[in-house]
Amino acid sequence: MSTFETLLEARVLFCVGPGGVGKTTMAAAVAMAAARSGKKTLVVTIDPARRLADALNISPAADTPVAVEGAGLPHGMLRALMVEPKRAFDRLVSRLSPDEATRATLFANPLYQQISSRLAGSAEYAAMARVQELSEDPEIEFLVVDTPPAAHALDFLDAPERLNGLLDPKALQWWIRPAASAGRLGFRWLQRGARGLVQALERVTGLGFLEDISEFLLAFEQLTTGFRDRADRMQTLLSGADAAYLLATAPSPQSVSQSRDFILRLAERDIVPRAIVANRVRPWPDPGVPLPIGPKAQRAYAKQLPAEDTADAVVAVEWLGAYAVGVDRDRHALAPLLEEATRNDAFVALIPELAGDVHDLDGLVQIEHALSGRQPTKRSS
Amino acid sequence: MLSLLDRNLVVVTGKGGTGKTTVVSALGLAAAKQGSRALLVETGRDPQIPSRLGVDIDGSDGEIHALAPGLDHLLMSPHVALREYLSLQLPGGAGWAGRILDIPAFRTWLDAVPGWRELITLGKVWHLAQQTDGDRPLYDSILVDAPATGHGLTFLDVPGVAAAAVRAGPLHRHAAAVEDLLRDPVRTVVLPVALPEETPVSETLELLERLQADLEVPVDRVVVNSFEAAPLADPPGLRERLDQWQGPEARCLAECVAHVDRRHTLHEAQRARLAGACGLPLVTLPRLASGIIGAEDLSLLAGPLLADAVTP
Repeated sequence: MSTFETLLEARVLFCVGPGGVGKTTMAAAVAMAAARSGKKTLVVTIDPARRLADALNISPAADTPVAVEGAGLPHGMLRALMVEPKRAFDRLVSRLSPDEATRATLFANPLYQQISSRLAGSAEYAAMARVQELSEDPEIEFLVVDTPPAAHALDFLDAPERLNGLLDPKALQWWIRPAASAGRLGFRWLQRGARGLVQALERVTGLGFLEDISEFLLAFEQLTTGFRDRADRMQTLLSGADAAYLLATAPSPQSVSQSRDFILRLAERDIVPRAIVANRVRPWPDPGVPLPIGPKAQRAYAKQLPAEDTADAVVAVEWLGAYAVGVDRDRHALAPLLEEATRNDAFVALIPELAGDVHDLDGLVQIEHALSGRQPTKRSS
Repeated sequence: MLSLLDRNLVVVTGKGGTGKTTVVSALGLAAAKQGSRALLVETGRDPQIPSRLGVDIDGSDGEIHALAPGLDHLLMSPHVALREYLSLQLPGGAGWAGRILDIPAFRTWLDAVPGWRELITLGKVWHLAQQTDGDRPLYDSILVDAPATGHGLTFLDVPGVAAAAVRAGPLHRHAAAVEDLLRDPVRTVVLPVALPEETPVSETLELLERLQADLEVPVDRVVVNSFEAAPLADPPGLRERLDQWQGPEARCLAECVAHVDRRHTLHEAQRARLAGACGLPLVTLPRLASGIIGAEDLSLLAGPLLADAVTP
């Protein structure tokens, strides 16, 4: 089994996993550990809980990384950035537009407005592009990326391919005549097949929408080379040697089954997670004490309790038995996932369920220590 | 107070990991038990509900399967739904729809259009809600396991966004009709599921604000899931007595009790914060000690789900 330190050997660490398992928390905690180990670290998150965002000092308004100080972190080593999809998408389009007119046409196009704002999928394009850009920044030695939840995390991985598909010259040529340019009235610039399709769809969508699509496609075509180049670089980053993946999961059978699906999907891309972290595992305080599951084990357990009234011991052990079933269930659910991780020489960590929810730097420090296995050290701040 | 099953459409929503699928499954079982006809709609890539109910389904996505008498299941397939929609809308019917959808350039382009999956999913739900069997609706309850709310409220946003983007024509009318259904308090209720912890409660409050103020969809209660009960509340004094016991087993017990008690205290405080800030009654579902394993566990949740919500 690998150590936690092997995780820090990557240049970009993607934290993936089902929703609600604490990916943002994991990403932030790993980033803190990396910063402490002396790497200039940036943690990028897309949709953090507000209090965690406050703790990290980030907001959607800040378009550049901000320093995270406190919790005994070495000064200036950890920065955080929250990617706001609309802003990131606009930024990308601005950069790739060949001229002001193209940019203005796109920004004014209603379809672009919808695509770039909040409809599903655009967040992934934009966030991935921003991450790719940041990965080329020589000032950043370790980049931790918190991805959106599983169904969407796939979109995140698929983003470059989908962009490439959209911008595939063959696909575009099917739509648009090569010589299409200014003075494009109606659909004359569309290829014949596309014109038929558009006219058929027009019966459903009405005319204006398709004009918007046409305008969008035409303006967007100006950006294809730049976009394709970006998409290729994203693809290289995602499957390259610089990247590593941390899969976060909860111990419930549902989360574990989603995580296993996710591992299969990663395997299709020849990616093996370098770390598997199970979060919020029901703690069993003393590994030397057997779980009181089943009547025989419960009777044996009750005998060890020095209760004056044996009825007390019976009631207590009955309660503990139900608790222990939960502990056991977590262990069973996680076992196949952890065995596979061990076979793949991945780093494995179990983070116990804490009394409270993690939403500040102190909470993150607790997770950091549980992850890295390092004991809390006395700190000045 | 209307029961959750008095509405034709229940959209169960919330952040990832709060237990939406559990709530949908438990409601579906409860509906079937009452003798009404229910349809459970899943929107993810892989079906989760049948295995939880211990049922194997075969056949393809996008088709309705029976899970139990009175309980049907649909794993939405946006492509299948789009084919159905275009077949109904285009004068050339299924033939045209098929030809359009088989054009590789169209498929490529479609895959890159954000939001179409959500729109066609809700369109299909709307369509199912219009279906009748004689003079009664085909389904008394359609229960939708909505995608996790994450970046924005993308799923329920889509009809409104589409109705604004597509300014005229059938698609505009249909998107507007879906939006109308979602906003109709007689036919629809949106049911947020929260966990009683700091971050999930804050996120639920943000979600409620958007659901009520921006989307204007009907919300009449919030589910608080996986609520940790106080440990060993009975018999009185037991908690104090066991703290005096010596030995590794006794220490183990005391630590587990203390752990669950801290979580119970936290849950109570967060539930009170949620109730105070949202002003809606709550439905509290207990954390089952052994976790949710199958239909039997799910049926334990039916009672609290169908009882009147309360303000704690």
